Amino acid sequence: MAKLYSRRAILAQIALGAGVAGAGLPVSHAFAAQDDRPWSFFTDAEAQWIAAVADVFIPQDDFPSASQAGVVDFIDFQMATAYGAGEGLYLDPPFPSGAVPEQGYQLKFTPAQLLRQGIEQAGQLGDIATMDATARADHVEQMSERDDIVGTLIAELWKLTKQGYFADPIYLGNHDYAGWRMVGFPGAHAYYTERVDADKRSVTPPPRGIAHDRGGTPYPPRAIGGGSD
Amino acid sequence: MAPRKLPKTDVLIIGGGWTGLTAAYELTHAGQRCVVLERGKKRHTATSFGAPEEHDELKYAHRYSHMMDVKKETLTIRNNRDQQALPMRRLGSFLPGSGLGGAGIHWNGQIWRPLPSDLQMRSHYEDRYGKDFIGPELSVQDWGVTYEELEPHLDFFERICGAAGFAGNLGGEARAGGNVFEGPRSADYPNPPMRQPISNTLFGEAAARMGLNPFPMPSANVTKAYENPYGAQLHPCTYCGFCERFGCGYYAKADPIICVYDQIKDHENFEIRFDAQVLRIEKSEDGKTATGAIYLDANGEEVFQPADTICMNAYALWNVHLMLVSGLGKPYDPETRTGVVGRNYSYQTVAGVDAFFDKSVETDPYMGAGALGVVIDDYNGDNFDHSDLGFVGGGYIACKQYHGRPIGYQPVPEGTPKWGAEWKQAVRENYNHHADLVVHGSSVSTPENYLDLDPTWTDSFGRPLLRMTFDFPENDRKMSDYVMQRAMDVAREMDNVTSVSGTNNAAVDKHYDIVPYQTTHNVGGAVIGTDPETSVVNRYGQMWDHHNVFVFGACLFPQNLGYNPTGPLMGLAYWTLEHMKRDYLPNPAPLMDA
Ligand SMILES: Cc1cc2nc3c(=O)[nH]c(=O)nc-3n(C[C@H](O)[C@H](O)[C@H](O)COP(=O)(O)OP(=O)(O)OC[C@H]3O[C@@H](n4cnc5c(N)ncnc54)[C@H](O)[C@@H]3O)c2cc1C
Ligand code: SF4
Repeated sequence: MAKLYSRRAILAQIALGAGVAGAGLPVSHAFAAQDDRPWSFFTDAEAQWIAAVADVFIPQDDFPSASQAGVVDFIDFQMATAYGAGEGLYLDPPFPSGAVPEQGYQLKFTPAQLLRQGIEQAGQLGDIATMDATARADHVEQMSERDDIVGTLIAELWKLTKQGYFADPIYLGNHDYAGWRMVGFPGAHAYYTERVDADKRSVTPPPRGIAHDRGGTPYPPRAIGGGSD
Repeated sequence: MAPRKLPKTDVLIIGGGWTGLTAAYELTHAGQRCVVLERGKKRHTATSFGAPEEHDELKYAHRYSHMMDVKKETLTIRNNRDQQALPMRRLGSFLPGSGLGGAGIHWNGQIWRPLPSDLQMRSHYEDRYGKDFIGPELSVQDWGVTYEELEPHLDFFERICGAAGFAGNLGGEARAGGNVFEGPRSADYPNPPMRQPISNTLFGEAAARMGLNPFPMPSANVTKAYENPYGAQLHPCTYCGFCERFGCGYYAKADPIICVYDQIKDHENFEIRFDAQVLRIEKSEDGKTATGAIYLDANGEEVFQPADTICMNAYALWNVHLMLVSGLGKPYDPETRTGVVGRNYSYQTVAGVDAFFDKSVETDPYMGAGALGVVIDDYNGDNFDHSDLGFVGGGYIACKQYHGRPIGYQPVPEGTPKWGAEWKQAVRENYNHHADLVVHGSSVSTPENYLDLDPTWTDSFGRPLLRMTFDFPENDRKMSDYVMQRAMDVAREMDNVTSVSGTNNAAVDKHYDIVPYQTTHNVGGAVIGTDPETSVVNRYGQMWDHHNVFVFGACLFPQNLGYNPTGPLMGLAYWTLEHMKRDYLPNPAPLMDA
């Protein structure tokens, strides 16, 4: 097999399940060489765990998996910035038990705390890194049904995974417009007055993000795994 | 420390959204010195909402960057009095605004009028179906103001917005292609209807084949270059699909900044203060009038602004909150069913229907606009016979194309797994072949759905949070299910549709849920009427208990319409302002005998 960029090989193993080769991963960007960037928030182990779960949510097919599209980078960035620190979240005590789901989020944790503590607790329920793809999917399903911090964590990660896959690439996910190309969403530059009632659609314009004209996505997704180059 | 006291102003206006800025415009021109206190920031359509930066789905649609901050103020929520209410820790079900223009900068722009019978809901149903038709578990009541009285004001607001539509009842004459159920209009819409995409068109064709009456949704997404009566210039909509939850940098969505604020901001009688959080309204010693408001200014200092007249324009929920923390009016007690402030809170009963096309119909959902829809009103209000249905009210059914923003728009047929390979495949296959139908239903008021103050949690200013006790009444569950079935009938009749599914927020096995977005149509709690035992303000919007306080917004609605609230509440606003200018200001006294 052709020699893969080594960190990406590890990403492939982590993300797709042990033993599955990651041939065909997109290394399509001029900045692809910048791969020793540390995580802003995650430890390598946390990043691996997130990648495994995110790729259960959105696995690879003709389009990249979540982690291949930069979802882990996206979540890392979110956790290190305002959202992770609890912006838009009222966290005044008390936090009584007995909440019903209709009352929404009632934990005392910021998203960053939820991810860190949730991942730690989830680690006690099984080692996702050693599971094959089917076992991972079952494991994520079971975690999602739990009525505790792990269940809340999985719900939060599913939300964040979709955001990372489809948000503007300025947030480091949706790399190379993976999500937008998959559905056919042309992005931020939007003027459709002349087309909206056309009988037959013309070709959807290629995606363009907010910073497209300034060079598009600044970085490709980080390699995940911390393996040696 | 006593708050710093400022010189008195004629009129103090709390809130700088649609109703507040409009009150300022009208009263300033009536010679009143107006001070607007707005808790949020200054921002402007020209400089704050430009594309492509504004077209950031994550930031505005999911991180709510234009909306209020629950860290500062929120409410607690429970479904019934047996539960402990818990804080709404994140925004979800509704998205109140903050900052210049309020929620009016990030609304959809669906601009409706109430049906004449809606405004006389109790007497209308009793006349048509008998005295006992409205059961004792409902506290539905008449508004105390009629469609004929509001019509000129509804019409004027449509002109302020440059509304786009096709009149279905022009001066009493029904016109096919418009809403044939609406009340008589004194004039047609100022602008022609929007262009419709394929999904909405197929819906309209199916509805027409079934003998129903489709028409284009009335829209404040403007369709032509237009100048409003205040002199504001609006431009045609680009169908950009970043509309609701976003500001419109194209000057195409009518918003209170361009339509009102720009036309009043330089007037010598007008002043607005930003970062001015009103904490409470102060009363005179005899309690009969209000003397002004205490607010926190941008430096965090407490300031007292005295005024002769006070306008409450802080949005439905926060008007009620301010009344409760200030001791204005008599709070409602569900135990004894006495008192009025907080009584008759209601909402909007929303169901959705998804129809999926075969591959020959390509919808391009990203070409959208906040009020882009084709509607039938055949099942709204009392437009259909309720004799054997066991409920009152109804809703409109719209096939709409607001946006195809991919974080939020991932339609998949029923039975699709919630994530994984099959989900991914389904998203990919259906994104471009989906029709999005909504049942936008009314919400009756009941003695058990109400607002009061929470005993446990406080906001960042130390005031008790507002507490919301709400669940969908039995009446609305039945109504919503019935109208949703009708929507599914139309969806099945649509050409090239391969599957249809429905989701009812008010289904029998569900309770009102604060998490998923439904609508920012919180209504009631300070309702309008002719009886001080069952209303907070008289039919002119003036508080019964404090005659120099006038109340604006959807808190006035005694129960909710099947329509979006801004058209109706702005009709009421202009009605109130007319009576303030003509009758109250020359002779400040109660406009009705209690
Ligand atoms: C996403 C979305 C879509 C919508 N779409 C539609 C639609 O299509 N059609 C429709 O009819 N309606 C729609 N609405 C509802 C519409 O926005 C409101 O009905 C309308 O804005 C109400 O105007 P208002 O002046 O009463 O309140 P707001 O616009 O909310 O203005 C109130 C202002 O008061 C300020 N304020 C509050 N408390 C204080 C305080 N204590 N001190 C100082 N200032 C304070 C707030 O910051 C705010 O700026 C939508 C709302 C949202 C959020
Ligand atoms: S859809 Fe039209 S009205 Fe709405 S934001 Fe875009 S251009 Fe403005």
